[in-house]
Amino acid sequence: MITLQVLNGLVYGSLLMIMTSGLVLIYGLRRIVNFAHGSLYMLGAYVGYTVSLYLNPWAALAASALVLAVGGFLLDRYGFRYLQDRDPLTTVIVTYGLLLILEDIVQSFWGKTNYTMDAPGILRGSVEMFCTSFPFYRLSIIIAGAVITGGLMLWLRWSRMGLFIRAASTDPVTTAMQGVNTDRISGGVVALGAALAGIAGVIAAPFLSLSPTMGSDILIDSFVVVVIGGLGSFGGAFIAAMVVGQIQTLGAVYLPEFASLLPFCLMLAILIGKPSGIAGSRV
Amino acid sequence: MKYSMQIFRAAALVVAAGAVGACLPLLITSANVLSLMTQAVIYAIGTLGVGFLLRQNGHVSFGHAAYYGLSGYGIVLCSKFLGLTTGPAILLVISLTGLFAFVVGLVIVRTPGIAFAMITLAIGQVFYILMAKARGFTGGVDGLVVEMSEKIFGLSSNLFGKPGSMFVVCWLTLVLVVFLLSLLIRSRFGALTEAIRENEERARFIGYKTVVPRAAIYTVSAMVCALAGTLSSLYSAFVSPDSLHWSLSGSLLVASLLGGTSLLSGTVIGAAVYFLLKDVLSEVTTHWMSIIGVCLIAVIVFWPEGIAGGLSRGARKLRALAGRS
Repeated sequence: MITLQVLNGLVYGSLLMIMTSGLVLIYGLRRIVNFAHGSLYMLGAYVGYTVSLYLNPWAALAASALVLAVGGFLLDRYGFRYLQDRDPLTTVIVTYGLLLILEDIVQSFWGKTNYTMDAPGILRGSVEMFCTSFPFYRLSIIIAGAVITGGLMLWLRWSRMGLFIRAASTDPVTTAMQGVNTDRISGGVVALGAALAGIAGVIAAPFLSLSPTMGSDILIDSFVVVVIGGLGSFGGAFIAAMVVGQIQTLGAVYLPEFASLLPFCLMLAILIGKPSGIAGSRV
Repeated sequence: MKYSMQIFRAAALVVAAGAVGACLPLLITSANVLSLMTQAVIYAIGTLGVGFLLRQNGHVSFGHAAYYGLSGYGIVLCSKFLGLTTGPAILLVISLTGLFAFVVGLVIVRTPGIAFAMITLAIGQVFYILMAKARGFTGGVDGLVVEMSEKIFGLSSNLFGKPGSMFVVCWLTLVLVVFLLSLLIRSRFGALTEAIRENEERARFIGYKTVVPRAAIYTVSAMVCALAGTLSSLYSAFVSPDSLHWSLSGSLLVASLLGGTSLLSGTVIGAAVYFLLKDVLSEVTTHWMSIIGVCLIAVIVFWPEGIAGGLSRGARKLRALAGRS
């Protein structure tokens, strides 16, 4: 029983981690908290749903990542680039406006009904592990989350591009003076962040249903994760995502009345102790 | 001498504004229009709460719908469990909201800039979930009927449900709130909080404590929102979790930004423009969210001072013209 819940917690934690890694990367480079990130996730899920009706779920994953990446790149090129010197509150409001527009687009294309999407055939069924039977699809979400997070961490730590990203999020001006094209990097990073949101949407679609509120649901949990972890900290977000995932699912079993409140309580407790989150503000 | 003159002028303005508003229902006979205007005035009070926080603290709140919605529930629960009549229940609820907001404020005003917006969003959602889930107390998503005692502050409770009389009540409340907030802005305390907003570190250097004043501003803004929520629940005699949802917080914020927060009157006009625009648009097209989104982005990028900025610029020009002639 408890192992099953811990595994379920890992599933949700992995999903949150994929979401928040995009948020954290975009914040690091452009100092923008993307309120539209949940809407990008929702858009990704709906695009994936439509593609999977005509082709297969794998094509859906690729298509939605591609669509969102292009969208993210355009967003940075024609939006965020001009806003980075403005008051941070301005950018928050702009992304909120974007959220309204994206929600409207999703609602006018797909309506307000809920949809369900099937998992790809190869990932159906369940596996025996730790004395419980666990759906294979959920296990593959954990694996996907681990691969994406691990890949991002290695990429940020060891690649040349990763070095530029870390430098630019520490000090964009100095980094630009060293001859790094920070605008081009930001374009790539926002595209990557949006694509990750899209991927998270498609991955979540088979086990959470598609609905017009799915975007704000996950946005709020992602914000809790980012605030607990410390704005702009990748490692902090990772720890926080895992903890919030566990709290959500264990809470749902043992304290069903208060399950949805527990992450917020944790957030307030951490803020009282350390207003900047558990990992301060380093990428 | 000069200060007392200002107070006198302000008081005269308040009386004039109150009188003009009180006469409007005599001129407008359509109940629909009056009802819409009443709603707009109630939202304007809520918007003032959010705009005041933005103006004095520089804090963007995505969670003030919590205070707006909780007041309605508070009134119902107070009269149910404490046996209070509606009038005292309202006073108790608004004071409790203030107390609660002060405690929350002490914790959250220390978080830097953008994180504040994210935290308020999360806290607001906590109460939305609580009210939607605690079916025993709140009726869940179906909401609750607000049962009123016969007299509220000496007025018959029927007055609060009719658009004509309720408009006057809400309008007078709005005028009073604007007056009190503008007194607060012009006071020493107002100047102090503006100094903290501009540079918290320097305010600390010159010897001021900065957390308590910011928490106090947060408290005032929460209480103003609670007042708006109270009026709304009296008017519709109904509360539901929708009034706590963060989309309402977002609307209040958008309205205050459209109006601009540098002038309280700008905030009020922004609220009126936003809610009437939304009403008209949602009748004409289903895409009102996109249109509002585009307007919001355009205003914040190209005209960051909003309507208030435009007004004060216009007033300055007029004064310059008058000075020259």
